[in-house]
Amino acid sequence: MSTTKAVLRSIKNVTNGYSAAQVLVRNATSNDPSGPTVAQMADVANHTFDRGEFLEIMDIIDRRLNDKGKYWRHVAKSLTLLDYLVRYGSEDVVIWGKDNVYVIKTLREFQATDSVGQDQGAIVRVKARELSDLLNDDERLRQEREAASKKRGRRRRRF
Amino acid sequence: MFGLSRIGTDISTSVKKACSSAETAPKRKHVRACILYTWDSKSSRPFWESIKLLPIQDNEIQVFKALITMHKVCQEGHPSALVGGYRNIPWIESLGRYRGNESPYGRLIHAYAAYLVQKLRFHHDHRGFNGTFEYKEYVSLTAVSDPNEGYQNILDLEDLQDSLDDFGKLVLAAATHNHGNECMVSALVPQIAESYGIYKFQVSMLRAMYRSSDAPEALEPLKERFLGQYHRLYDFYADCSAIRYLTSLITIPRLPFEPPNLTAADDEDGPDAR
Repeated sequence: MSTTKAVLRSIKNVTNGYSAAQVLVRNATSNDPSGPTVAQMADVANHTFDRGEFLEIMDIIDRRLNDKGKYWRHVAKSLTLLDYLVRYGSEDVVIWGKDNVYVIKTLREFQATDSVGQDQGAIVRVKARELSDLLNDDERLRQEREAASKKRGRRRRRF
Repeated sequence: MFGLSRIGTDISTSVKKACSSAETAPKRKHVRACILYTWDSKSSRPFWESIKLLPIQDNEIQVFKALITMHKVCQEGHPSALVGGYRNIPWIESLGRYRGNESPYGRLIHAYAAYLVQKLRFHHDHRGFNGTFEYKEYVSLTAVSDPNEGYQNILDLEDLQDSLDDFGKLVLAAATHNHGNECMVSALVPQIAESYGIYKFQVSMLRAMYRSSDAPEALEPLKERFLGQYHRLYDFYADCSAIRYLTSLITIPRLPFEPPNLTAADDEDGPDAR
């Protein structure tokens, strides 16, 4: 099942003319039950340092964040990815996040029930609350980004 | 540049769907679409225009849901939503006048409209507060530099908190009487957020006043009233915590067991439930 979906997604990537960076985001925030992996997120984070690709990436994330309840995984995964990008991505992501904080804030009351009637919105609500708190706290955000850049430097040296 | 896809969605459709005639909570996704619309377009005029055009006058459930939607948009929407709301006060008042007491919704609508009008007037008189009264340092600073204005600010906030408290009790009573009716209970969601925002603001503002004031006796009446409100708010949140629909949807703030010490320094706030 998930393989057919993955094939369908790769076809859509071509027919809708998504760029390479956008395909990365779409794969990281797909409807698969697993992921996004750290490798996927780190990949996207590296692409946010390119000005043109940054805009393309945020465009897809914005669309995913506003998906309907049925695709709660899109929303949850985009929040995970955005949280990672705010820490590890370019400074532009932080500026984008602050400008669009209302998009995230309004997800704090997100509601979704799956076909079995189980509440799946809770994960989105928690993630949205944490991310909007982080974006509102300049001091903590600065510390998190410093710690992240140190970690990144260490990883680079090791390889 | 961003959100072009969202601007494409029609605001009047979202408003219509949020205020449907079904006796359920206004659907979050439609309310959210209204809120996002005010931010994306940085204007609330289309929202107010389309909600005024809705043919809801003959259906009390729709009127009630429209009031909830307006309240949410005023809270979370672009600041211009509050300004737009102030301009439409006569219309909101007319919504409240229109029904008598013959149904459970009649009284709620009447009380809700009155509360919304009071809230909008407050925001008009005290710029600098946002819709959910989220704490902003500079407002309490300006209050301290002018003690008279600060006194008036806190007094007005306490008036608002009192009305909110009365209205909350009314909704709770109606909801328990109607077996946890989701449509009524959903009106508590914006109330909880708002009362907690006001509470936090009162605490930090009163503390700042106590620190800078030379005559703490003058603040006693404010403190007395605040303590009374603290106890009622504590009970209100306890009652709300018993409603499963609410606890699954939002985190209900937990106030400290003892009322906060207003003369202490601004550090111990107790467990922050946000």
